Amino acid sequence: MNVDAVSAVFREVLEISEVNADSDFFVMGGDSLLATRVLSAVARATGVELEFDDLLDAPTPNALSKKIAEAA
Amino acid sequence: MNVVVVGAGLAGLTAATDLVARGAEVTVLEAREQVGGRTRGLEVEPGGWVDAGAAYLGERHTALTALLAELDLKTTPASVAGAGRFALRDEGRTRPGRFPPLSAVALGEMFDALEEVTRLVRPDAPWLTQDAARLDGVTAERWAAEHLRHPDARLFFPLFLGEMMAADPARVSVLHMAFYLRSGGGIRYLNAFEGGAQEWRIAGGAHQLCERLAAALGDRVRLGEPVRALHQDAGGVTATTPRGPVRGTHAVVAVPPVLADAIDHRPGPPAPRSTPATGPGCAVKVHLVYPSPLWRELGLSGWSVSAEGPLLSTVDDSPAGGRAGVLTGFVTGGEAIRYAALPAAEQRELAVAQAARLFPELPPPIAFHLTDWVNEPHSRGCYAALFGPGDWLRLGPGLAAPHGRVHWAGTETSTEFFGLMEGAIRSGHRVAAEITWRETP
Repeated sequence: MNVDAVSAVFREVLEISEVNADSDFFVMGGDSLLATRVLSAVARATGVELEFDDLLDAPTPNALSKKIAEAA
Repeated sequence: MNVVVVGAGLAGLTAATDLVARGAEVTVLEAREQVGGRTRGLEVEPGGWVDAGAAYLGERHTALTALLAELDLKTTPASVAGAGRFALRDEGRTRPGRFPPLSAVALGEMFDALEEVTRLVRPDAPWLTQDAARLDGVTAERWAAEHLRHPDARLFFPLFLGEMMAADPARVSVLHMAFYLRSGGGIRYLNAFEGGAQEWRIAGGAHQLCERLAAALGDRVRLGEPVRALHQDAGGVTATTPRGPVRGTHAVVAVPPVLADAIDHRPGPPAPRSTPATGPGCAVKVHLVYPSPLWRELGLSGWSVSAEGPLLSTVDDSPAGGRAGVLTGFVTGGEAIRYAALPAAEQRELAVAQAARLFPELPPPIAFHLTDWVNEPHSRGCYAALFGPGDWLRLGPGLAAPHGRVHWAGTETSTEFFGLMEGAIRSGHRVAAEITWRETP
């Protein structure tokens, strides 16, 4: 899942348009409930099932995209 | 204009206050010996109050925020830093924040499904939702069985619904679930502490809202006067209480739907306000009092979530500026009905034993309080009435429609923030405006 695709998921879940590759999900209004919806979207698209702590570690599209690639 | 208001909760007292401000004569008739409805204060130490009923608010609760300012009441943040305790698949796991140690992907799928069904609802008139008949005819339990595959989602769903709306999934329709979540601002807003519907508590307790409104209304508020009958004629309405008749040009009924139906209305309203499927909000609130918030020194927030009852969740509700530590335990949904039926000694024993398992570091509580809303005769449930299968289609169109000179208020008549203090206050403003409008030449 590339950076653009992860950014698109952030936009959809956060319901905002201004997300770039280095936007921090939790700074942009994300919380634990919305985090699970990012992770379910990632799982749907890639089959990779990440945990909540993974998103805490990698809260930007850039970092999360790398994390997904590592886990795949 | 001379208005009889039935019920001295937030809705009735808000309506009465507005009507007095517009020059009406008002009499508020309250069945209990105290005002407050589903808000209630509990003094756990001298000057230290906790909420035995409604407690939380967020910034979207604009009518409540305005009322707080008018009454010179302040808020206090509800969230507490530290780790939570979770007894879901195993006993006593500790982890940072409020997030349960379950599959995040499974919970995400559950929230995706809830978000989808929540978006379908027409929030201002749920009975006009496309496909309303199907959504109204199915229970939330059946919906979950169809939509949630992962065991973690199935485990968490009833806990989530219990916490959000004090509902047993087997007894509410999907339409009511989706409407309730939408009405309160959506699943994220309703679930969140910071930036959500649990951002603050009211410093000193939510019961002060009604106490201060009632104090300003003075002897217009009459306690211990349950209204048994409302008879309308060409000139007005007569409310009958055990102490006799009270006459008005209009009446406001500001009690929950089941209790509104228990009044002898003549002529009868065109449609009932409840059906046999309409259930009580299933909440029992337990307060465990400690010498101080001891858990904070251990890096714990006091937050817990358990799959087994009675305390399905706990939260630190220690009075701000006080000495005592208070853990509030929420018993909700089907568990609340079972727990409410137990003898008092067993209720206490079960709650204290569970707190000891969740927080083995803590000494036993120095005091225990229990508020059973399920069997409360003058509320019949809390947070709010729960609409079962078929209810929205049958009851929805009439919920806020005046019946002659009788107007309806209460949080269940507000499609905005239904079930919350905010909904009650908005309904009070709405009903006062309705009556004033009718009386304007």
